[in-house]
Amino acid sequence: MSVFHRVREWAIHRLRQRSIVFTARAACWVALVGLAVMCSSIIYPMPLLIIFAMSVGQVIGIVAVLLYLVSILGDVIRGSDHSPDAPGPARKFRASDGTNAP
Amino acid sequence: MPHAGPWLGYVALVSGAIAASILLYFLIKRPPLDLGMKLALLLGLGVFPAVCAATSTVAGMEQTTHREFCGSCHTMDEHFENATDPHAQSLAARHTRNPFFGEESCYVCHADYGMFGYALTKFGGMKHVYYYYLGGYRGMTKDESRRDVHIAKPYDNTNCRQCHTTTAHVWRSVPDHTALQKELAANKVSCASPGCHGFAHPFTKGPNGLGALPPASSSAAPAAAADFAPSASGRPATGHAP
Repeated sequence: MSVFHRVREWAIHRLRQRSIVFTARAACWVALVGLAVMCSSIIYPMPLLIIFAMSVGQVIGIVAVLLYLVSILGDVIRGSDHSPDAPGPARKFRASDGTNAP
Repeated sequence: MPHAGPWLGYVALVSGAIAASILLYFLIKRPPLDLGMKLALLLGLGVFPAVCAATSTVAGMEQTTHREFCGSCHTMDEHFENATDPHAQSLAARHTRNPFFGEESCYVCHADYGMFGYALTKFGGMKHVYYYYLGGYRGMTKDESRRDVHIAKPYDNTNCRQCHTTTAHVWRSVPDHTALQKELAANKVSCASPGCHGFAHPFTKGPNGLGALPPASSSAAPAAAADFAPSASGRPATGHAP
């Protein structure tokens, strides 16, 4: 099995362990931290804070967006027959149900 | 030089507040994650934070050009006080009183010009931050900083000539200008040197402000490029203008 397939299997496995809502909520918390850092650099324009906001603050924001995209990706993978706040695979991905029937 | 104005900061704060409102609504009210909520989260996690990040970056860069920002490190206290002293006659103070320089007098004089000048100036500023927090400048007394902290490279006359054109009749009518034109263009003689227009920050140049030049250049022209040498502490240092 190639490295790509191993990474893909690992990513799908991890995605199935968490619910979509959990990932989206995590993205929200991370984004709030990033927003707080960026806004604080406007309110208190101190050298370290400005540099921190323009570097780490933006990385935090990017991580938040990526988490959100992961949750959307997970939602797409699971399909519409699966509640977004429920962990685990959608019906068509369950090992016990290989028919892909809705 | 950037002139974004304070409104960019307000845009950053407003977009950040809108984004935070959306995110807090999702976290506290716990609505179902349907299509509408997903689109709202796209705004709260993507669009508004992107606006906030972009505007706060520009506003932050703008803030770094202000004199108060430069003077926020204690090693720059005397430079700041002298520049803002309404009775001071140093080159820096006289330029600071010029409305064109306004609140950005440090940046206007010390910025590199040219295509990548803004980025290079900001990169140089990052080195200042490094020296301050990790290079020992933070723990220096004012006497130590006056002795050891110097301009990183010889002051470029090009910065003066951004405003003071060397082609005008008034400039050419000064005999010293015409006699030293090549040296000035080659930065072998600094505009901001004793005998010319004086040091920009004379209090750093000895008790009389006329230039406690480093030994290597004491007998040479005050702004010779060869003056550039590391100080005893190993940090980049020059002993001459400005």
